[in-house]
Amino acid sequence: MTCADLLIRLLAWVLLTTPLVSSGEEGAALSFPGVSLKGFGTIGVARSDDDGVQFVRDLTQPDGIGSGWSMKTDSVLGLQLNASFTTQTEAVIQAMSRYRYDGSFTPELSWAFLRHDFSPAFTTRLGRMGTEFYMLSDSRLVGYSNLMARPPPDYYGQLVISYFDGFDVTATTKLESAPWLGLLSGKFYAGYAAERTPFEDNLFWEMKGSLLLGAYVDVLSGPWQVRLSHARLRLKNEQPFDKLMGIDIIGLAPELSVVDKWARFDSLGVVYDNGQLQIQSMLSRINQESHAFEDSRAAYFIAAYRLQQSTPYLGYSWVKSTASRPDPQRPRIISEIMTQLHSDQHTTSLGIRWDFATNLDVKAQVDFIRGAPQSIFPFRGKAGRWDGHMNVFSLTLDFVF
Amino acid sequence: MNLASTFIVATLISATNAVDVARADVVVVMNAQSGVERLSADDVTNIFLGRYRRLPSGANAIAIDQPTESGLKAEFYRQLVNKDLAEINSYWARLYFSGKTSPPNQAATQSEVLNLLARTPGGVAYMERKQVDARFKIVLDFSP
Repeated sequence: MTCADLLIRLLAWVLLTTPLVSSGEEGAALSFPGVSLKGFGTIGVARSDDDGVQFVRDLTQPDGIGSGWSMKTDSVLGLQLNASFTTQTEAVIQAMSRYRYDGSFTPELSWAFLRHDFSPAFTTRLGRMGTEFYMLSDSRLVGYSNLMARPPPDYYGQLVISYFDGFDVTATTKLESAPWLGLLSGKFYAGYAAERTPFEDNLFWEMKGSLLLGAYVDVLSGPWQVRLSHARLRLKNEQPFDKLMGIDIIGLAPELSVVDKWARFDSLGVVYDNGQLQIQSMLSRINQESHAFEDSRAAYFIAAYRLQQSTPYLGYSWVKSTASRPDPQRPRIISEIMTQLHSDQHTTSLGIRWDFATNLDVKAQVDFIRGAPQSIFPFRGKAGRWDGHMNVFSLTLDFVF
Repeated sequence: MNLASTFIVATLISATNAVDVARADVVVVMNAQSGVERLSADDVTNIFLGRYRRLPSGANAIAIDQPTESGLKAEFYRQLVNKDLAEINSYWARLYFSGKTSPPNQAATQSEVLNLLARTPGGVAYMERKQVDARFKIVLDFSP
């Protein structure tokens, strides 16, 4: 039994043996222990107008959508149990079902941790929790908390890790000497990846055991929030090329080996949220030690303005990777693999979020993807007649309960 | 189309439910024994949005929300950050489902707010000015 399994069993036992407190009683709002069960979800339909490649929300999805309407891209259901033992200690367990690496909606345990707040300024968590490679990346599946139908795939699509087993520590301070700086916080986390990611032909790439380290510095001042983040992942397992092709590809081209190589993620996020106006902008850079993937840069910008219950928004995102230099010495099969790894496209998105009832919203969105025909990496499926142009139409109903 | 008729019905329901509370005179209050004289709007935002729940005295701050039906809650968040309750709920969905801070303690009735605040030295709540009695102290006043 691994540490994570043990912790999960321990948490489950603690939760099951904690008495349930009715919050309807007078004064119960401040009493402990307390258990609450809440959930979130999205029912989404989407289609594109191009069958050349399949559009996916991110690369954790083994296949995507074409010109027929489908519910698999954005639909998700999550349940979360919070148990507070004192005002400072809480256990959280979250299970989630979404279209995943093996083409099923099999539920997964996405969170299972203990949080302890030593003070309002210092918090630590231990167990399984969401990754914060980029700002907002640990809530990208909670549709109700996001403005757009889905986080921009140009920016978030390459993140194939949603959770990890480990710990984090967060420190927050208010600088009395520099009140204009607002709140300054920093976080450090470390642990091991626990997921699988789809490869091709029903094969998957095991991420479990890959070491993950990350940190950020965040400043929150009035309507402004600025965050600088770094995360790095040291891969434990090779991609299953040999199973796919029946030959020892890594032996043939050692440059495609990823084991013990770091992937480094740097990002800068800026959010301006002032009353009815919301602006988000983020930049990122992924540097790969292995030549099995290309280095890439990505960015996005969203502006939204709320008019009573409706919030129209406009988004723009792009991603571009550095193509490896053609090498005539390289076996043809390797060159072919490497052409699958390129990204070079930008997307303009137009949409509206309508908060038509408490804890419910509906979003309608159109994405205009424009890129080079070589921009294949962000998609799934064998590229057929693909000219780099695609429009995607989405309608989602998001809820929390 | 089904979806279109759902949209229309929902709009009608929310229009008829709209309560005009824009004139409510909301003030932020603490327990008179708290030792805190005043809070800035930034302090109150940090406490109610769960960013930093520490009082100037160094003690922990405990935020208490009014029931939604009272209309005070909507008015408070409009005055504080110019957000409507849908946005506040969406904000909390992000923090809650990413395992961070929890929303303020939700009182079931307005009298529960008074009772909780009266026995919680670190409590921070909001109410109509006319509800403030000797047990409480106004720490932030939105009116100029």
